Amino acid sequence: MKKINLAVIASLLMLAIAPMMFSLNASAADKNTVNSLATLRDSTPIDRQKEPNSIPKVVNKDIKQGRNYPMQPPVIPHTTRSYEVNLNNNKCMSCHSRHRTEKSQAPMVSVTHYMDRDGNFLADVSPRRYFCNQCHITQLDAEPLVENTFTDMHSLMKEKTATTEQH
Amino acid sequence: MKNILLIGWRTLTRPSGYYSLGALVIGGFIAGIIFWGGFNTALEVTNTEKFCISCHEMENNVYEELKTTIHFTNRSGVRATCPDCHVPHNWTDKIARKMKASKEVWGAIFGTINTREKFLVQRKRLAQHEWERLKANDSLECRNCHNFDYMDFTEQSERAAYQHSTALASGEKTCIDCHKGIAHELPDMKGVEGW
Amino acid sequence: MTINRREFIKANAIAAAAAVAGVSVPAIASNLITSSDITKLKWDKAPCRFCGTGCSVNVGVMDGKVVATHGDIKSPVNKGLNCVKGYFLSKIMYGKDRLTTPLLRMTNGKYDKAGEFAPVSWDKAFDVMAEKAKDALKKDGPEALGMFGSGQWTVQEGYAAVKLMKAGFRTNNIDPNARHCMASAVGGFMRTFGIDEPMGCYDDLEAADAFVLWGSNMAEMHPILWTRLTDRRLSAPHVKVAVLSTFEHRSFDLADNGIVFTPQTDLAILNYIANYIIQTDRVNTDFVNKHTNFRLGETDIGYGLRPEHELEQRAKNNGETSGSSTPINFDEYAKFVSTYTLEYTAKLSGVPEHKLKALAELYADPKIKVTSFWTMGFNQHTRGVWANNLCYNIHLLTGKISEPGNSPFSLTGQPSACGTAREVGTFSHRLPADMVVKNPKHRAIAEKIWQLPEGTVPPKPGYHAVLQNRMLKDGKLNFYWVQCNNNMQAAANINEEAYPGYRNPKNFIVVSDPYPTVTAQAADLILPTAMWVEKEGVYGNAERRTQSWYQMVEAPNGAKSDLWQLVEFSKRFNVEDVWPEELIAKKPDVRGKTLFDVLYKDSAVGRFSLDEIPEDRLNHESRDFGFYIQKGLFEEYATFGRGHAHDLAPYDRYHQERGLRWPVVNGKETKWRFKEGSDPYAKPGSGWDFYGKPDGRAVIFALPYEPAAESPDEEYDLWLSTGRVLEHWHSGSMTQRVPELYKSMPDALVYMHPDDAKKRGMRRGDLVKLISRRGEVQTRVETRGRNKPPIGLVFMPWFDASRLLNKVTLDATDPLSKQTDYKKCAIKIVKV
Repeated sequence: MKKINLAVIASLLMLAIAPMMFSLNASAADKNTVNSLATLRDSTPIDRQKEPNSIPKVVNKDIKQGRNYPMQPPVIPHTTRSYEVNLNNNKCMSCHSRHRTEKSQAPMVSVTHYMDRDGNFLADVSPRRYFCNQCHITQLDAEPLVENTFTDMHSLMKEKTATTEQH
Repeated sequence: MKNILLIGWRTLTRPSGYYSLGALVIGGFIAGIIFWGGFNTALEVTNTEKFCISCHEMENNVYEELKTTIHFTNRSGVRATCPDCHVPHNWTDKIARKMKASKEVWGAIFGTINTREKFLVQRKRLAQHEWERLKANDSLECRNCHNFDYMDFTEQSERAAYQHSTALASGEKTCIDCHKGIAHELPDMKGVEGW
Repeated sequence: MTINRREFIKANAIAAAAAVAGVSVPAIASNLITSSDITKLKWDKAPCRFCGTGCSVNVGVMDGKVVATHGDIKSPVNKGLNCVKGYFLSKIMYGKDRLTTPLLRMTNGKYDKAGEFAPVSWDKAFDVMAEKAKDALKKDGPEALGMFGSGQWTVQEGYAAVKLMKAGFRTNNIDPNARHCMASAVGGFMRTFGIDEPMGCYDDLEAADAFVLWGSNMAEMHPILWTRLTDRRLSAPHVKVAVLSTFEHRSFDLADNGIVFTPQTDLAILNYIANYIIQTDRVNTDFVNKHTNFRLGETDIGYGLRPEHELEQRAKNNGETSGSSTPINFDEYAKFVSTYTLEYTAKLSGVPEHKLKALAELYADPKIKVTSFWTMGFNQHTRGVWANNLCYNIHLLTGKISEPGNSPFSLTGQPSACGTAREVGTFSHRLPADMVVKNPKHRAIAEKIWQLPEGTVPPKPGYHAVLQNRMLKDGKLNFYWVQCNNNMQAAANINEEAYPGYRNPKNFIVVSDPYPTVTAQAADLILPTAMWVEKEGVYGNAERRTQSWYQMVEAPNGAKSDLWQLVEFSKRFNVEDVWPEELIAKKPDVRGKTLFDVLYKDSAVGRFSLDEIPEDRLNHESRDFGFYIQKGLFEEYATFGRGHAHDLAPYDRYHQERGLRWPVVNGKETKWRFKEGSDPYAKPGSGWDFYGKPDGRAVIFALPYEPAAESPDEEYDLWLSTGRVLEHWHSGSMTQRVPELYKSMPDALVYMHPDDAKKRGMRRGDLVKLISRRGEVQTRVETRGRNKPPIGLVFMPWFDASRLLNKVTLDATDPLSKQTDYKKCAIKIVKV
């Protein structure tokens, strides 16, 4: 009698648990596939949130980064904390202006920065370029969430020169 | 009442007939310590940040600006309070600075910089005083914490290491030459060397 | 220190270069490639993909790929400059996760709302879509269909969509995301001037003596206009800049008068300035008498929440009459604003008296030419239309309008918010050229141009953006197509409205996007979309400048433009599927035809042959449909505005120009509207002619300060303002995929005053939760950096897809413009 009871209970339990397990699996699978799309959310469902990572540090190595194309404004390879660029002063220019670079050994702002709206060269950096931070940005020590497949024109040219050589 | 005052006056002006010279000397010494201690304590009270920012001119302008800078919040939590940078540590300089500071009290009482705008108008002059002082004493208050001899250049950014190992090491430059505006916003920098 | 800085860096660079290249000797004689057939780039012009400034950029193409971009020196807008986003345009199309196949939620090969996304063919995708649309039409009629579009659509896409929805499916349930962006500006223009869009132009930037920024952080949101403003301020030292905001931001760096005010009190400050002008006797009486009327507006108009909300229950005039007004005279107006004294306004706004006075003087002084700029601070406001009206008041009282430098200037957020959303009229209540569906004459004009029977366009305004999400949730809107926006991230209160709405089992949600966005994640069908220079199009910027571009590269295999999707989808419907018999009977020749035939191919849209496309030009859509569709759509659309003060030039001319500002009359663009001599529509002898109003007079409105929908209290003790950042475009779906931009601003942080953080035991970097009555979001604390909020207010940008800030915000809107107030709600912040 006891044995039968146990068996009945066990099978009842199994019957009760089985669909639960099934549905759990199904919904987990569903969520995973559905949300694997959301690359910027690291596959987190919309009604949930992944714990925010800590604030990354600013890259401060002073090593120049390559440019994607010649016209790209270079990124800033150092911290700019408390660097003021306002009505009173432009901290960036205390190293990067033409007459400061010899002392600072920092790269001089490009000649385009001396041009006014009409393309005339001024005696000093044009006020339209005053706010450096509109084009030049620091980089944080963060790993991009999505790879970018942008092609450098240099690699395209190289491919072509390589094929010309073969001919 | 008049009599009591008169007796007191006479006691003070007449040479001592009751107390020995020794007692007087010791008494004077102790009184001196108490008085000096009191003076010093009072002086030290004025040497705290709490005292500085009890004036709203300081609290709303320079202190508010300080809050977001590296001298207020940083990785190790060692922070600079107002007197660390603005009051010399050795006694004579300190007293000299305090004498000058009486002008700030005057300013506070008569409201010469009691609005942000008034303060901003004066900012260049005020900043220049501090730059001159620090230039003259070779950035002494900076060096109280940032001692050149113990700087590890390999821990510094390439840029910083280069400048410190050349211009600073040779004595060509002192801290304040490059690090203006490190703790507060800058005034109009027109005509300031290096800007 | 034995190695100097130069040596060190050189050594490093060589090492790094060698490691990356992995090639020792180049295959050619010199290390410089000099052969011109190899180094040549194909350059072409296009408007920037991002904001409403409308910069022109040069796009360099090599081997079918965009390899470089730079600011167009020939463009009067930006003269060779770009902001950092603009400089990185070259990379926005190349995120590795570009979508290349339609994805449908399926179980066992069949559509299932609870299923998983699986690739399907375009054919299958459109089959399922058409079936769902037809089901909804059959069951609940045209009102069950809806579309959410964009101020980032091209003009042609917006126009094709309006035609498909309003004439094809006969529903007005189409709205653009521009509703979130400048609907209040539209409301302001229509109410004060009777015609939409700024009277001034960017040339005001070089002519003004003073600039006032009313809730606009131009330094980050309109960087190139900011360079022009900076240029003017710094090169002409008499110029003054006043910046108003509820927190200090980058634009304060140039401010002579930086003003931080208590949220919502901008209304009081505007009325104070009007009062100041009157009290100091500096009203331009001649101008006011000749060119203005005064009206008293309806008040206590509610907050655009659901009708059962207690604020709506309490509001007296939140119905149809909320926008009504009655005529008053100058004295009554003067009396109305007289309560906004300096003392009262200073106390209410928390702004020191001398600052308010200095601000008012910029407007009052007749010698100062003043330009006001505003963006989301005014527009995302539960009294946004009022704020716009009140700003026009002070320009009209002083006659400082429609002249170089005297300009109330509403800036737009999106590249074609003006061109597409407003001019084309992709709003639920609108038709092209400022016309509205409610007006039978306007509907008749549209039906005539479209060669459709009378009664095709339904008269009832459709669901606007916020209402669409509510109707999705309520199950009233069942077939919903989202193109060119990311509303699951952008709409307010997504926890209570958008998310349950999209996932409501009754609804079928289609999302077209180049990338898998948050909105795509919430969809049932995702359509991979071509973007920017992968198609031909036209954008219209904030100064009425219309700019076109050619397709320059092929889209990734499988991705199709919004235009192609809309038009191709229309082939799936016969007129009989969507129109009632009595409508068809009015024009029997449409019988048996598809919507594609009726709306596009056989209408004026189809009249330009493929020969008109230069042979060397790509044009995927036209070559697929068999006619020059972009030109056809543009020219048909342009007939709406020609001769009605919205004149556009012939399409081909835009391919030659760096844009033209409408109205373009006799081949000439218009810089300042409403001013005789500058605007050909202003009557001779009038001086100024506000011809949008029947009597040629603009309206000065008496409107009060009214409180915000939600203010901080004991429990929710902080104001939350949301907004954008320089480095990211809106929801970040393009810019977060550019590594340099991502790395400069990877995460959205909450900017707090250091004392507010300290009071809560928090410090920079702490993990915290922002909690409102509607939801919560986690992020980290920032106590320094570019934004400095006052005590009691925090700012957090919404670009971060991983931190959905709009779970927290309130979907209160301006009852007149239906635009959401994203700048004010009450939250608390706790440590996690």
